[in-house]
Amino acid sequence: MSDTRVIKVNGEEVEVPTDLTLLQACEIAGEEIPRFCYHERLSVAGNCRMCLIEVKGGPPKPVASCAQNVRDLRPGPDGSPPELFTNTPMVKKAREGVMEFLLINHPLDCPICDQGGECDLQDQAMAYGRDGSRYTENKRAVEEKYMGPLIKTIMTRCIQCTRCVRFATEVAGVDDLGLVNRGENAEITTYLEKAVQSELTGNLIDICPVGALTSRPYAFNARPWELKKTQTIDAMDAMGANIRVDSRGREILRILPRLHEDVNEEWISDKTRFIWDGLKRQRLDKPFVRENGKLRPARWDEALGLVAEKLGATPADRIGALVGDLVSAESMKALKDLMAGLGVKHIDCRQDGAPLGEGGAGRAGYLFNSGFAGVEAADAILLVGTNPRAEAPVLNARIRKAWIGNLGLKIGLVGEAADLTYGYEHLGAGPGDLISAFEMLDGAERPMVILGMGALARADGRAVLKAVASLAASRNVVREGWNGFNVLHTAAARVAGLDLGLVPGEGGLDFAGILKAARDRDLDVIYNLGADEFEGRDLGGAFVIYQGHHGDAGARTADVILPGAAYTEQNGVYVNAEGRAQIASRAYFPFGDAREDWAIIRALSDRLASKLVGPLPYDDLFALRQAMIADAPSLGRVDEGPTGEEPLDLGALGVEGPLDGAAFRYAVDNFWFTNPIARASETMAECARAMAGVEKVAAEESVR
Amino acid sequence: MLKQIFTWWNGTTFGTSFTLFRRRARLVGKDGQGNRYYEEADPSSPDGHPRRWVLYHGVAEASRVPADWHGWLHHTFSAPPTDEPLVRRDWEKDHLPNMTGTPLAYRPKGSLARVGVSPGVPDVYEPWTPDAG
Repeated sequence: MSDTRVIKVNGEEVEVPTDLTLLQACEIAGEEIPRFCYHERLSVAGNCRMCLIEVKGGPPKPVASCAQNVRDLRPGPDGSPPELFTNTPMVKKAREGVMEFLLINHPLDCPICDQGGECDLQDQAMAYGRDGSRYTENKRAVEEKYMGPLIKTIMTRCIQCTRCVRFATEVAGVDDLGLVNRGENAEITTYLEKAVQSELTGNLIDICPVGALTSRPYAFNARPWELKKTQTIDAMDAMGANIRVDSRGREILRILPRLHEDVNEEWISDKTRFIWDGLKRQRLDKPFVRENGKLRPARWDEALGLVAEKLGATPADRIGALVGDLVSAESMKALKDLMAGLGVKHIDCRQDGAPLGEGGAGRAGYLFNSGFAGVEAADAILLVGTNPRAEAPVLNARIRKAWIGNLGLKIGLVGEAADLTYGYEHLGAGPGDLISAFEMLDGAERPMVILGMGALARADGRAVLKAVASLAASRNVVREGWNGFNVLHTAAARVAGLDLGLVPGEGGLDFAGILKAARDRDLDVIYNLGADEFEGRDLGGAFVIYQGHHGDAGARTADVILPGAAYTEQNGVYVNAEGRAQIASRAYFPFGDAREDWAIIRALSDRLASKLVGPLPYDDLFALRQAMIADAPSLGRVDEGPTGEEPLDLGALGVEGPLDGAAFRYAVDNFWFTNPIARASETMAECARAMAGVEKVAAEESVR
Repeated sequence: MLKQIFTWWNGTTFGTSFTLFRRRARLVGKDGQGNRYYEEADPSSPDGHPRRWVLYHGVAEASRVPADWHGWLHHTFSAPPTDEPLVRRDWEKDHLPNMTGTPLAYRPKGSLARVGVSPGVPDVYEPWTPDAG
């Protein structure tokens, strides 16, 4: 990036770095260059020829601007700056010619094509193409290919830009796609008619500039211009990917990624993208009350009255509160205040049981301190008990990007061997191998430890945390200007919960403890805010209040169900694993009688006003947010990533104790079913079957 | 009578009655709703037609004029329907005034303003039921 060079674009002088391509240089100069195969995050292929420009003094033919560097330009005869032209008759003619060739075999089916309205070829044919066709011969047709349950292929539309092939091999790290044959017979294919074995296949749909690869679940559902686009935040994993939710009326129709360089770049995982059919199924749309062992629909009045009566009549030490993985910070704050008002000590948001947020280690003790972008700066990465491919696929792609871009990068894994799409050294399976594994970080300038929930969410989690922290301290993982101690969460709500201090207080029971106490009949009332990841229907004789949006494990154990809103249906703050607070917005309203989560808790506090000091002191989201930010200032720093400056006392993490020899079991054993929304989704179930290789969904039969 | 003096939307106004008297309009006929139709004695309209009026029985609402009288009022037919009734087919429905703005207004399926019918569009989501497990 260091040296720059002055060039002239259409007569205007600009100074650009020499390692840019001519296309990027022209963009800096404000000239838009049409392109199909070129993509910022992929290697340069230079095969669509749409980006042709004229270079003065160069060869007497147009130059593909994506494939030539500024460095390679020749200066003029008298040392004057090299000149580029994008508006000459030669360029115009070249573009028209290329477009005409591209359209020779492209079908004229825009009216029935799902890409219609957001198609690069459509737009550029309008802007740069000829007005008519001179082609009278037959067009070629290409057979559809099977690429898995998510991607619908209409390969006749393909213009062989090979973006998909490059994405699959470079970013996703799978060699399932390729271009076979040549000339007019060239085809993109999966070779063996198998599903693309990646969690990032949805991005193929985005990068395809035409309608050859389109979303199968979204097929023929809508046109882009009828959709309301809401910019929001994903809650499927702890990355907090920036997404755009497209809805029509009350119906969610698709989810697309938004650009955020520090979080998800422009990729999202398939679970994030295709979860939306789960948001329409198994929804809790009215309150339920259990009567004679059976749940029956009830009115809000009745349900809230019953809950208030139970909470009011039970002594505080016999009440427990559980908080789930998808809950927004606002509702957690409201629940915390409600429980604090009642004097309840048994409250926990750590559904997986990882012993984080305890002791005096501070906030940095449970964050991904280097930031996701920091992965690219590291020169040694040690993964402990984590399989990022399943727990945060976009982060995994970033590690792969770092691995490709830095030949000196060493990656080690402690845990079961897994296909991570990049080369790593398998350094052991359990806590016993930690000491030898950390030797990998010796001599590294920017060592990085990524500690997964698989290592922490177990009986000896505190001891493992202690061991990892002290080993990390011995390797100076936290040093001047670099904090390489990273905890990779799996739940979107977890960091906000820990920021708000939703952990058991003095003498309080933790998540497993609350469940056990309920079974042992030591607790009478359990308030379950969206926690579904526990086994067993029987919670003793405890009266269980479930507040959530999907009928899953939590709803089945409940005595009263209060229907809440999912992450796309309410405004809320989510904090990702980096500690970056991001605001999710409502894309459409909750279904039926369901309400926003914080509002339910606020309404409940009204009925408990005599028991509390009064109802919760906020009547709207703004007041609630102010109270929340006063409680946990980090939640108010919207979109501020890790600074690396946050103090971290590694010695205060965890508790010394005996280590279990058992191997780490990853926190996510099935990527497709990690939460109640995903379990309700048919698309996710189909993906799970396709990825397991159990079933090949024929391309024709699953068009819905 | 008071209504006729102080409002313009009930029956006829005083001005119209006076005009009818001044132009020596004669009553041509009545429709099923009680609206009365008048025609002046001497043609005074610029195109040489005699001017024609309707005096509403009740609310002055133009869409209450049925099709046959409408045709006569607008000089589509020269003879009133009382003399030359229109041919009525068996598939023709009775005349219905425009109900917009009244409780009987047409509400399409799914309209939030539809009374007595749940506005829920059941296709958008599948609710959970406890029996499903």
